[in-house]
Amino acid sequence: MNSKTMSKDLFGDKRMGFFIYLFVEAVMFATLFATYLIYTPAPQGPHPSEVFEVKTVVLASIFLLSSSGTLMIAEKGMDRRNIKMILTGLLITFTFGAIFMYFEVHEFHTFVTEGHTISTNNFLSSFYVLVGLHASHVLFGLFWMIVLLIQRKLLPYNLFKEKHKIFNYYWHFVDIIWVGILIIVYIPYLI
Amino acid sequence: MQFYLFGELIVLPTDVIAAWVSVIIGAPLALYWFTKKRYWPVVWDFATSTNHRKIGMLYIIFALLFFFRAGIDALFIRLQLVTAENEFWVFQGDKYNEVFTTHGTMMIFFVAMPLLIGLMNVAVPLQIGANDLAFPFLNAIGFYLFLTGGMIFFAAFFFNAAPNAGWTAYAPLSTYEFTSGPNNNYYIFGLQVSGLGTIFAAINMIVTILRLRAPGLKLTRMPLFPWASLITSFLILVAFPVLAIALLLLQFDRFYGATFFLGEMGHPVYWQHLFWIFGHPEVYILALPAFGIFSDIISSFSRKNVFGYTSMVIALALIGLLGFMVWAHHMFTVGLGPFANTFFAITTMMIAVPTGIKVFNWLFTMRRGVIRLQTPMLFALGFIPTFVMGGVTGVMLASAAADMQYHDTYFVVAHFHYVIIGSTVLGAFAGLYYWYPKMTGKVLDDKLGKWHFWLFLIGFHLTFFPQHLAGLNGMPRRVYDYTWEDGVFVYNFISTIGAFLMGASMLFVLWNIYKTHRTKEENVGPDPWDGRTLEWSVPSPVPEHPFEKMPVIDRRDALWWAKQEERSLPIEDHPRTSPIAVRTVQPLVLSAALTILSFGFIYGWVWMQILGGAASLGFFLLRAFNDERTEAYRKEEQDDE
Repeated sequence: MNSKTMSKDLFGDKRMGFFIYLFVEAVMFATLFATYLIYTPAPQGPHPSEVFEVKTVVLASIFLLSSSGTLMIAEKGMDRRNIKMILTGLLITFTFGAIFMYFEVHEFHTFVTEGHTISTNNFLSSFYVLVGLHASHVLFGLFWMIVLLIQRKLLPYNLFKEKHKIFNYYWHFVDIIWVGILIIVYIPYLI
Repeated sequence: MQFYLFGELIVLPTDVIAAWVSVIIGAPLALYWFTKKRYWPVVWDFATSTNHRKIGMLYIIFALLFFFRAGIDALFIRLQLVTAENEFWVFQGDKYNEVFTTHGTMMIFFVAMPLLIGLMNVAVPLQIGANDLAFPFLNAIGFYLFLTGGMIFFAAFFFNAAPNAGWTAYAPLSTYEFTSGPNNNYYIFGLQVSGLGTIFAAINMIVTILRLRAPGLKLTRMPLFPWASLITSFLILVAFPVLAIALLLLQFDRFYGATFFLGEMGHPVYWQHLFWIFGHPEVYILALPAFGIFSDIISSFSRKNVFGYTSMVIALALIGLLGFMVWAHHMFTVGLGPFANTFFAITTMMIAVPTGIKVFNWLFTMRRGVIRLQTPMLFALGFIPTFVMGGVTGVMLASAAADMQYHDTYFVVAHFHYVIIGSTVLGAFAGLYYWYPKMTGKVLDDKLGKWHFWLFLIGFHLTFFPQHLAGLNGMPRRVYDYTWEDGVFVYNFISTIGAFLMGASMLFVLWNIYKTHRTKEENVGPDPWDGRTLEWSVPSPVPEHPFEKMPVIDRRDALWWAKQEERSLPIEDHPRTSPIAVRTVQPLVLSAALTILSFGFIYGWVWMQILGGAASLGFFLLRAFNDERTEAYRKEEQDDE
C-alpha cells in the first residue's frame, strides 16, 4: 500500500460522502421551506408581519453570517499549520454562533410570551419547525466545535485537519440555510 | 382478557397473549440452543463486525425474520377473509386495521428494503472490485438503525399498540384526534429511525460505486446490479428525507398541538403529497435493484452478455427520473383537477416505455443463449411474466378516469402485489440463491429450491389473480368483512388457499438452509455458477479484503473473457487505499440510545426523552474520540517524516 496517498484517498471518500449527506439535509430543509410557503400567511391568527421583529433578525444574521467569515481564519491557519490562527478562528466562530443562539432563544421566548405558540396557527407551526431545526443545527455545531478543540490535542494533525474541514463544510451549509430562511421566512414580511 | 394491575384496568386480546407466551417459551429455548451449539462467539463476531459481507448477511437474516412475521399477518388477513361474514379469532374491526397496517409497513420497510440493501452489501463491492464499502463503520451504523427501527415497530404489537392507520398513515386518521393511542407513534419512530439508516446505506453505496471501483472498471463497463444500486441510492437521497420531514410534521401534529394535516387550517392532502413524493420513488427503490439482479442472473445463466447494455442503463435512469413525476397518480380521486390528473396519468404511462425496453432486452439476452434452469434463473423466468402482468394493470390504473372505479379496491391490491412481489421478492430470492455461496461458501440445494420456486409462484398467482376479479366486482381494500350477496366469496376462498401455498413454500427455504449446512461439509470453489462478473473470481465465502491483488478490468464481463481465453486478469501494483475496518460495539450504543429516545416519545415520558437524547449525543462523543483511522494516520505521518 502506498502510504502517501492513504489520507488523500480516505479524505476524498469522506468529503464526497459528507457532501451527499448535506444534499440530504438540503432536501429536508427544502421540504420545510415548501411547508412554510404553503401555510404562510395563515387564514387566521397573527400575520407574520405582526410577529417578526427586525432588530433580532438583523442582529442574529450579522453574527451568524460573519461567523462563516471568521471560520475562514481557522481554515487559513490549517493550511499554514498555524495553531494560534486555528484556535482564534474557532473561538471567534464559537462566540458568534453562541450569540446567534442567544438571539434565537430570545426570539422564541418573546414570541411565546406574546402568546404566539406552536399551536396558534399554521404559519407559526411551520415557522417553529423550520427555524427550530436550523437552530438545533447551530447548537449541534457549537457542540462540535468544542469536540474539535479537544480533538486537536489528541489526534494526528492530518486527521484533525480532515475533521476540521468536514466541520467547515457543515458550518457554511448551516449558514446557507440561514440565508434561505432570511429570504423566504423573514424578508417578505419585514419589508 | 381483562385484569387489574396497580388499580388500572388492563385489556389484553388473546392474540397478544399468545405472542407473549410464544416468546416466553421460545426465547429460553433459543438461548439454550445457541449456548449448546456454542454459537455465541459467532453472534458476537457478526454483531461487532464492519465487514460488508457480514453486515449484508445480518440485513438478510433480520429481513427474513420480519418476512415470517409479516407473512403470518398476511395469513391472518386471509383467514379472516376466507368466507363471507366470517369471524376469525380477534381480527375484526380495529384489530384488522392493525394487522393490515403491520403487514404492509413491515413488508415494505423491514423486509423488501433490507433484503435488497443486504444483497447490495454482499455483492456490489465484490462486483466492482472494492475491498469493502467506503465507510465500513457507517455501514454498521446503518444496519443497526434499520434493526432498531424494525424492533421498535415489531414491539408495538407486544404492547397491544400496533399502528392502525394503514401503511400510508393518511392524515387526519393518523393524527391524535382520531387515533390517540401510542399505536401510530410506533409507526413514526420505527420509520424515522430505520429511514435514517437507509439514507446512510445509500450514501455509502454511492461513494463506494463512484470511488472504489477496480482500475479500468469504467462506469460503462460496470455490471447492471451496481448500476441499479447506484441509481436506487440516488432515489433514496431524494425520497427518504421527504419522508423524514413528513413524519416530523406528523409528530408535531400528534404531540405538540400543531395542525399541519387537520383542522380548519391544515391540509390532509398535504400529507398525501409528502407521503407519495416519498412513496412512489420508494416503489422504484424496491424495483430497480431487483431489475439489476435479474439482468446479471439472466446473462450468467444464458451464457451471453446482456443484450442492449446501454439501453438497459438508460432505461434504469429514465425509470428513476420518471419515478419522481408520478406521485399524484395515487391521488386521482382527491380532486386535483383534470390538468393535474392528465399530467400524472401521462407521466405514469410513460414509465411503461423504459420498463418495456428492459423486458425485451431480457428476452433478447436469453435468445439463442445456452440456458441453464437452475433456481436463480427459474426465479428470473418467473419474474418476467408476473411483472408484465403487474405492469399491464399499472397502465390500466394510470388512466385517471378509469381509476375512479379501481381506486381503493382489491384491483389495486392485486396490482401492487404483482409488481412488488413480482420484482422485489422474486428478485431477492433469486439473489439469495445466486450469491448464497459468496455469503456462506455453500450452494443451496437445487431440488428444494425448485420446490420453493414452484410452490411460491403458483401460490402467488392463486392468491393475487382472483383479487383482480374481486376488485372489479367492487370489493374495497382494508375491510374485514363482506356478505354472501357481494359475490366475491369464490375469489377470496381461492386467494386464501394460495396464501397458504406461499406460506408453505417458505418452509422449504428454512429446510433448504438447514439441509445445506448439515450435509455439505466442503465449501464450493470461487465460481460455482460459471459466472461473468468479478465476484466469482474471489473465494467463497468471501474473506475480508478479498482484492489484495487488485485486478485490472479491460472490458465488460472481463472475468468471463479471461476465462474463455484461459488467462488471468492483470494485477494493478499501486491500487488506491482500501477502507479501514474496525471491530466495534459503538453501533450497539447508538441502538440502545435511540430505543430509549423513541420509547420516551412514543409514550410521552419526558425524562426518558432527555435520557435518550443525552445518550445519543454521548454516542457522538464516543465516536469522536474513537476513530479507527487514528493509528493509520499517525503511522502515515511518521513515515512521511
